[in-house]
Amino acid sequence: MVEFFSLPLRPPTDKDERPDTLPVEIAQINNQWGSFREVNEDVLRAGITKQKKPDATPLEEAEEEPTELDATERREQLYKRRLEITQFAVKAHQETMLALDFISLLLSKHSPRQAETSMSPLLKQLAPLGSLGSDLVNAPPRTEATLKDIATVSRGWRMQSFNAVSNKLLNAATRLNREIDSETKYWNEVIAVKDKGWKVCRHPRVRQALAVRYGFIEATPAFRDRGLASLQRSNDGSLVLDQGLMPTSARYVRVQVKQGQQKWASSKPTGTIANESDPIEARILQARDSVFEEELFHELVREARALASCGVTTRENLISIPVADETEIMLDLVDVDGHDSHSQEAFLRENDSIADGFAHGIRVMLCFAHRQNLRRRTQIPRPLTTARPPIPEYHLLRPALAYLQHMTLVRSLEAYFSDIYTVLRSAGLDLPPWNLQTCVGWPVGSVGNSTQSLEALVGKFLRPVESVFSGDLLTPHGSFSVTIRTNFSAVPLGSIYEVSFQLPTVSHLKTPNRVGLREEAEAAITHVLLLDVVSAIASGPISAAPGKTEQQNWVPIYPHLGELLLPHSHPERHKKMKVTLTRHDMAVTTYLVNSIDGVGRGVQELRMQDAGAHVCKFPRSSSESSLDQGSEALMDFVAEEARQQSRM
Amino acid sequence: MHELLLFASVPVHQHHELLQQLAGLTAMQPRHALERRLVYKAFRKPGLNTGRVGGSQDLQQANAADLQRVNKMLNGGMFYTQVVGPVSEKDFAAAPVKVTASELDSDTQMAGMELSNPSASVQADTAATYDFDRQPWKLDFRDIPEAATRSAVTTRVMASAALPRGNIEPSMNAWGYGFVTEYVVEGDIFIHNDIVIFLHRVLHYPSDEKEPREPRRSLPSLKKMAPLEKTGSYVLQASIAVQDGSNQETMKTASQHLLGLREQLKSAVRLEPADRLSLDTRAK
Repeated sequence: MVEFFSLPLRPPTDKDERPDTLPVEIAQINNQWGSFREVNEDVLRAGITKQKKPDATPLEEAEEEPTELDATERREQLYKRRLEITQFAVKAHQETMLALDFISLLLSKHSPRQAETSMSPLLKQLAPLGSLGSDLVNAPPRTEATLKDIATVSRGWRMQSFNAVSNKLLNAATRLNREIDSETKYWNEVIAVKDKGWKVCRHPRVRQALAVRYGFIEATPAFRDRGLASLQRSNDGSLVLDQGLMPTSARYVRVQVKQGQQKWASSKPTGTIANESDPIEARILQARDSVFEEELFHELVREARALASCGVTTRENLISIPVADETEIMLDLVDVDGHDSHSQEAFLRENDSIADGFAHGIRVMLCFAHRQNLRRRTQIPRPLTTARPPIPEYHLLRPALAYLQHMTLVRSLEAYFSDIYTVLRSAGLDLPPWNLQTCVGWPVGSVGNSTQSLEALVGKFLRPVESVFSGDLLTPHGSFSVTIRTNFSAVPLGSIYEVSFQLPTVSHLKTPNRVGLREEAEAAITHVLLLDVVSAIASGPISAAPGKTEQQNWVPIYPHLGELLLPHSHPERHKKMKVTLTRHDMAVTTYLVNSIDGVGRGVQELRMQDAGAHVCKFPRSSSESSLDQGSEALMDFVAEEARQQSRM
Repeated sequence: MHELLLFASVPVHQHHELLQQLAGLTAMQPRHALERRLVYKAFRKPGLNTGRVGGSQDLQQANAADLQRVNKMLNGGMFYTQVVGPVSEKDFAAAPVKVTASELDSDTQMAGMELSNPSASVQADTAATYDFDRQPWKLDFRDIPEAATRSAVTTRVMASAALPRGNIEPSMNAWGYGFVTEYVVEGDIFIHNDIVIFLHRVLHYPSDEKEPREPRRSLPSLKKMAPLEKTGSYVLQASIAVQDGSNQETMKTASQHLLGLREQLKSAVRLEPADRLSLDTRAK
């Protein structure tokens, strides 16, 4: 500035209306003058003189005092000064911009992009980028000492840089070595997994990761998608099987058979427990088994709900299936290393085979269902409609249930037959033995290994189970057969008995084709056997009493009630025989009746007072045998009775 | 019933690779298929009375509508139709003379007898009989693809029906169809959800034979059959059938499925809708 002229550029400060409070002022004084403690006379005097001294010369302050200029002149002066200031500012700006352009142009040779941003458009038009170079000309001569210094310093720098570089390279080399080692290990393991036959693919969601597919491609979509785990690399290069949110512990479907108070559990599936230290193969296998078991349980629950009408109940994690009278099967999903499995050891192990068989059975059926899915999937699909056909539940429990129920019924009927045959044989009746053919149509022994024959084999288990009891009767050409058919694959669920027989002597007899209840079936068989016994007695030759020539025969008057009659010439000496047959015993009673008119039974039947009722019971107990007549067999008893009659 | 389609051309060198890719995609083994395809053309029977002559006042409304429909069917557009019969590879190996001999055999012998007689069945196997009289057939009708569909798939009306076995010539003639020509399609079928993927090519009968006027009763050796496309390239056809073509939602779902498949196969082949007029089945 040429002249000293101060222009208030800042806004004038308003005087505070209120004076500062005393503490503020004290603080200000403290700040400005120092502590009050140091104030004494000398200091104050020195201060006063100091203040006075500058007072002597201040020109500016004197000038600041308003000079006596009139207003217009003052304004003009103000405008002039302002114009000058503006001109100065513009000039300074121009020079700065020129300098900026210059520097930008100079720099544009080295970093054109950056320099271009700070160049003015005019310069850009005038001079192309990088058209200005710079060089050092006429470098000032350096002394030898300086040159030496520079050489030393640069050598030092160079050494240092070389050191740093070599360190870095060595570090990189070791790191790369380590990486190579771990990568080699990783890829070797991946290849080992692939060589074992597992399907290794890129993870569908994480693009950079590899994944191994171990799940079952025909499973329900939820479980099919879970059969995929990514193969992560740990720091040392070993494979880590990352199954996401899936529980890592191995689980399996445990089958427990409860009979009364006793419980038997199926054995654990073998070879599925794998620790972190185990080879990757074992872990993949465990993951596969787990996903299979979980799918199995899921499908079991689904099927169990459909079987609710058969008394199957499901709880959160337990399916309980009543099989027969006392037997109940319980299925649950448990950890392989669950602690409660030890307590199972205490139970008897003899019935394990049922539990184990059941466990194997449901797994085989699930695999079969998978194959059926594949078959269904590869057929030409039906035309697209809005309603998709629902996927039916798999048949996992049903075949096993059908078999168990069937075998219970077969065994009970078998016991029944052996009981009643024992009774009949104890009476000396020579019944031909009965035959039992269990599970007709099921192949015995090994079948072929081909897929088709195996599938046909499993397919057989889905059909109704059939067992046939058959035998001949005492009556010539008489025979009976009882077929038990258990069907759980289609409604109506459950078992039926088909009883049929051939009894030539009772021609009008109709076979009760289908019987639903066990008691009814047993009653039907008992009835047939009773009829058979009656017809056997009737056809049996009775040696006539000595002195009589006419041949006498027991006449079956009411065979369905087991009643026979031995007619006598005297109307009051007819002899009647009543045969009763139950499962555990057979009784033959003879007595005299006097009113044979076709209704000679029940209330109308007039029993003689001294009917001389003879009772013969089979099988004979040791106490009874002494009381009785001592005849050994039924036929002897019958013949004896006839003889007594003829003597009368 | 409607059919939605996409096509792609597959050069012969890519065929094997594509088979493997499709097997991986669909997670199934290819099902090899050989089909005889007989082309029939509808003709207007001479002397067919089409007009309604008097007495139609009695006809009830429903009957009239029926009659109208039948008339429309009879006098509507004429179409080419195909009769498709699946055959197996060993049907081709049979020499013509032996075929006639075995045909005579099978005339005198019931099918069940062959099974009961092992020596005969062995002989039949070695002779590789082709029994034309037991050949199953299927009538396939395809309409010309719908015009001006905005979607990127070919859509056409289709129908198919089973025909009696054996010689279908009399029945087809009776229905007003005349035999035009026949060819063989060989290829592999994959199923991908609702989509049927058929990778096939058309084979022509040897040209030295005289073109017969009716379906062949015997088949030449498969090796002698020449592909229609000289380079032997294949056609990839992805199709999806829709029961109710008027249901927009189902049609949309179906075309979305097809387009999804196109995306999946993008790196291998380019599935595209076909030229509409090249699939014209109308008889002119």
